[in-house]
Amino acid sequence: MGVIANPASARDIRRLVAHGGAVTTHEKLNRLQRLLSGLAAAGIERVISMVDWAGISAGLLRLSERASAAAWPSLEFVDQEITQTAADTTAAAVAMVKAGVGAIVVLGGDGTNRLVAGVSGAVPLVSISTGTNNAFPKPVEPTVAGLAAGLVARDSGVRSAGTYRCKKLELVQRNRREIALVDIAVTNDDRVGSGAVWNTTSISELFLTFAEADRIGLSAIGAHVQPVGRREPQGLALGLSASADLIVHPPVAPGLCSPIGVRSVTKLAADVPLVVEAQRGVVAIDGERMHRFGPDDQPTVTLRANGPVVVDVAATLDHAAASGLLASTTSKPHLGD
Amino acid sequence: MTELNRADLYREMVRIRQYEARIMQEYHADKTPAWDIGAGLIPGEMHLSAGQEPAAVGVCAHLEKGDGITAPHRPHHFALAHGVDMNAMTAEIYGRTNGLCKGKGGHMHLFDPENHFSCSGIIAQGYPVACGQALAMKRRGTNNVTVAVAGEGAANQGAFHESLNLAAIWNLPVVFVIEDNDWAISVSRADSTATNSNADRAAGYGIPGVRVENNDVEAVFEAAGAAIERARAGEGPSLLEIHTLRLWGHFEGDAQAYRADLETVDERDPIPKYGASLVEAGDLTDGQIAEIAAAADAEVDAAIQYAVDGPIPAPEDALLHVFA
Repeated sequence: MGVIANPASARDIRRLVAHGGAVTTHEKLNRLQRLLSGLAAAGIERVISMVDWAGISAGLLRLSERASAAAWPSLEFVDQEITQTAADTTAAAVAMVKAGVGAIVVLGGDGTNRLVAGVSGAVPLVSISTGTNNAFPKPVEPTVAGLAAGLVARDSGVRSAGTYRCKKLELVQRNRREIALVDIAVTNDDRVGSGAVWNTTSISELFLTFAEADRIGLSAIGAHVQPVGRREPQGLALGLSASADLIVHPPVAPGLCSPIGVRSVTKLAADVPLVVEAQRGVVAIDGERMHRFGPDDQPTVTLRANGPVVVDVAATLDHAAASGLLASTTSKPHLGD
Repeated sequence: MTELNRADLYREMVRIRQYEARIMQEYHADKTPAWDIGAGLIPGEMHLSAGQEPAAVGVCAHLEKGDGITAPHRPHHFALAHGVDMNAMTAEIYGRTNGLCKGKGGHMHLFDPENHFSCSGIIAQGYPVACGQALAMKRRGTNNVTVAVAGEGAANQGAFHESLNLAAIWNLPVVFVIEDNDWAISVSRADSTATNSNADRAAGYGIPGVRVENNDVEAVFEAAGAAIERARAGEGPSLLEIHTLRLWGHFEGDAQAYRADLETVDERDPIPKYGASLVEAGDLTDGQIAEIAAAADAEVDAAIQYAVDGPIPAPEDALLHVFA
């Protein structure tokens, strides 16, 4: 089992311009402990963790030496060069895939999941949100996520019942090729700045893999115009403009329901490349402003069906419960009428 | 919020870097062959800020007349970015009577009442002082703010925690800036601090805590702008931790044998990287980059000449202008 915890999540500007919460290092470690308990209960014996200089891996090592950690799976760490950048996440995921892990558990936000999904291939991902406003990871108790991850890694029947391959968006610009799991936004910003997209008035185009109305973030904009499920084959493309007739008020950041004008909406078919309309601006991937572009290097966005394999925690545990995978008894209790 | 002006951000970072490079050169003159910290043109310790320019420039771009800064023992970048006069500051560093404090403060004790700038060699001392300044601004009904700057090691001092508590309970217009350069002299963050980011500690006092990665001046500019605007609007204090880079030693003369990341330091220098990105994007030309460097050189040369030409304090004046 691979475990990747982003030490930097939930600390960006959205704590100042919205009401983003704090997920401290200690809370992340607490969630990791709960995850490890779940993994142990599901029979996982060996866990490989990412290494960082930011206190997560060191804290995990310290905790693992305590008597209370005796029941945990054995803990190893990826032998990796640390750069204190997003490259560390990718390098750790590559090492885990090479080591043949049965699943990778990701603690982070949409951005962390995106980095892992870029290299995870057929290895299932289990996502636990420790970010600010995440659409890709659904809220889940880490103990429960650990059980699901462990069951998927150990049992091919559970894997069939509890996992699915999700969609992704592919962005090509200049010589770079990147993926998004939830959204690609084109903004009329002139700068990448501190990364996070929070000023929605700057967005002119939005591409979505899915649009669920109970999510927060940019995908919620699409959900209130044309909902699209995670397992539907199509995505969504929207044109946004403050002067549009249709105004929606989705939750785009914690405590922030902004009025957003929608001038166009189109279902997005797989494998059809679309060049963005804007001549210049900044492209944001899964909520993070990433690259400036001009008329000579406009990005192209394509919906692809071959995104990462992800674990549906609820479906996994429903299957496990129906199959009695977490039960052991000598006589089945009588069910009352 | 202040408009982003990339050329200005770059120009100010280069100005600071050229200044620090020349101070380094001047500082080391006459200290050899036997290292004598009290000898030479600039006696005493010297803590230079090369590599940390994005923090000062990104923050100070939002400050207005009447706003204050309390800086730590490594103060030059914040002093220059905040508008402290380069001539008077340099003369102070040289210990001359035409300096900011008539030559009695030195490089760690630059006091400029006109610009509400102060600094000190006592770790975390600027935090409580900033609370006092911010309280005065609030009681006078201004919309000014104070920025308190300290290093990540300083966040383990009691003064840091007491100040966050006080600012939170009094809703003061103060922005606490932590420059995290990974090293508290020779002690790494992992060896000294129970949490990996001081932004986490803000949560304990109910104020927003943000960490800016990558030593990127535009990222600092945007986050600092939000924090300062928030404080100006009466929304209260916040903490901004900037992950930056100490390009040189803790002090001049520091061999840095403890430093595992030394090999990659030069390639992480934020200024050449930013300059190249501006040229690539068409914001500046190579010619303009050269002009900016030449203008900075000329200004620094003039400041050093002003300091060297300044009078050395007379021994009989030693007890003038001191309060203890």
